Amino acid sequence: MSDRKEVVIRGVGSSHYGRFPDRRVESLAWEAILEAMQDAGAEAGEIEAVFVGSVFGPPGVATRTLRGIGIGGVPVITIEAACASGTAAYHEACEAVALGRYSCVLVFGIEHLSSLFTRGAIVPEATDSEGRAGLPLPGLYALQAQRYMAQFGTRPEAFAEVAVKNKGNGAHNPRAQLKGSAPTLDEVMSAKMIAEPLTFLQCCPVSDGSAAAVVGRPKGRRGEVRVLASAMASGQLWDHRSKEFWGEGPVRRAAQAAYAQSGIKPSEVDVLEVHDSFTIGEILTLEALDLCKVGEGASLAPSGHTQRGGQQPVNPSGGLLSRGHPLGATGTAQIAEIVWQLRGMAGAHQVPNAKLGLVETMGGGAAGMEGNASVVSLLALR
Amino acid sequence: MSEPSAPPISKRRSGQVMGGAFVSDPRCVVKGDKVIGVRCAHCRYPTSPPAPWCPACQHREQVEAEFGPGGTVWASTLVQIPVGRWAPPYAMAYIDLDDGPRVIAHLEAPAILAVGTRVNIVGGDDGDLIVRLA
Ligand SMILES: [Zn+2]
Repeated sequence: MSDRKEVVIRGVGSSHYGRFPDRRVESLAWEAILEAMQDAGAEAGEIEAVFVGSVFGPPGVATRTLRGIGIGGVPVITIEAACASGTAAYHEACEAVALGRYSCVLVFGIEHLSSLFTRGAIVPEATDSEGRAGLPLPGLYALQAQRYMAQFGTRPEAFAEVAVKNKGNGAHNPRAQLKGSAPTLDEVMSAKMIAEPLTFLQCCPVSDGSAAAVVGRPKGRRGEVRVLASAMASGQLWDHRSKEFWGEGPVRRAAQAAYAQSGIKPSEVDVLEVHDSFTIGEILTLEALDLCKVGEGASLAPSGHTQRGGQQPVNPSGGLLSRGHPLGATGTAQIAEIVWQLRGMAGAHQVPNAKLGLVETMGGGAAGMEGNASVVSLLALR
Repeated sequence: MSEPSAPPISKRRSGQVMGGAFVSDPRCVVKGDKVIGVRCAHCRYPTSPPAPWCPACQHREQVEAEFGPGGTVWASTLVQIPVGRWAPPYAMAYIDLDDGPRVIAHLEAPAILAVGTRVNIVGGDDGDLIVRLA
């Protein structure tokens, strides 16, 4: 490991998140990239490679985006790993810098779903056996929630509590799609049922947006955030032999690798941004991250542990449940949020004394596999 | 040129049921009260639809196999939004077929079945696997 070079996040930026059907997809990326470049104090000429995360593109979106800012002639790689596309791009950029291939890489995630899914929810993939059979993504997560309730005697309110916490946080996040909206437990529980036990307010909104980061060798500039660890794990077979919940395996393996790389224990993390596309997702994720034992994740929000003023705040930005879920941009949005938290720049949703941050993204949606990929990264101010 | 009808729900590859182009069927094949698939000649791993080699051990020889009609509910949910040709409410479940693969299925009655409930395959409905309480 000693020949690995130190990697920092020099700067971050993002667009607002929401439905912007009348905006060019590139314009969202430009907003994120310009903010990140300025934040990093980086010139276009310093960028040695560009790593892009996007699920639905459109094809060519990376190059069309770069035309506007005059970055070209360097390797441009677009990565798709479902909801983890942005963090997968970030992870590959970190690895490339750590191994000495590049010293400065631009990363961005970009997604424009409002021009693709004209009636709101994501249409399940017809080439996937479960998508073709009519299983929507909230249905997949609802199945995990049902199994979870049966296994641990959890009540549906425990899932709703995650939405109350995250949307309450997101109400203070000016970039969030659902800013200003903080529903009560009753409102979450009585919202329209989507797939039992998950109500509408327990499902993340479908969004447009972009977030960017400049990753590279340290320059000694104020605000640089050190990448203590970044690990990616892809899914394995998820079948009749599996003892774990769907999606749990990749998160657990990525987390274990990230903890091992950094020597950091789960209990030492001060602030987390994790994949809460559906409320049950946050609970399963926190168990896979070893913040608690399996079966105890549902108590973390109600007990206050993961609340903004708690011992280990989770999704102080509002998470995907409030920020929205521009698939390929979500991972880079999470990175940007943790960078702002570590610098004390998060504004109204700032967490006190955040010194060690964790980002986790989980992408899935291929029948018979645990997931497409999960990325876990540990970050601290340099 | 005829008047355009309702706008398509999605511009991507959504399948004919959603107003898109034909997409080759990725679902497991249902024949009567059985799911048709293959079983690895080395490790007995059950696969449906068939894969090019055993996904569990990469052994190349697989023999044709039928799974079901019996199985156990891993979990089930009641979906309350329309998806494709399915109108709410409809129930879906992961079913572990006896000595067979885990498959996604529709429950004949739109109600949640407890984890561990025994079910039987009823048959296929337009290619979707349907199960009912045993
Ligand atoms: Zn085998």
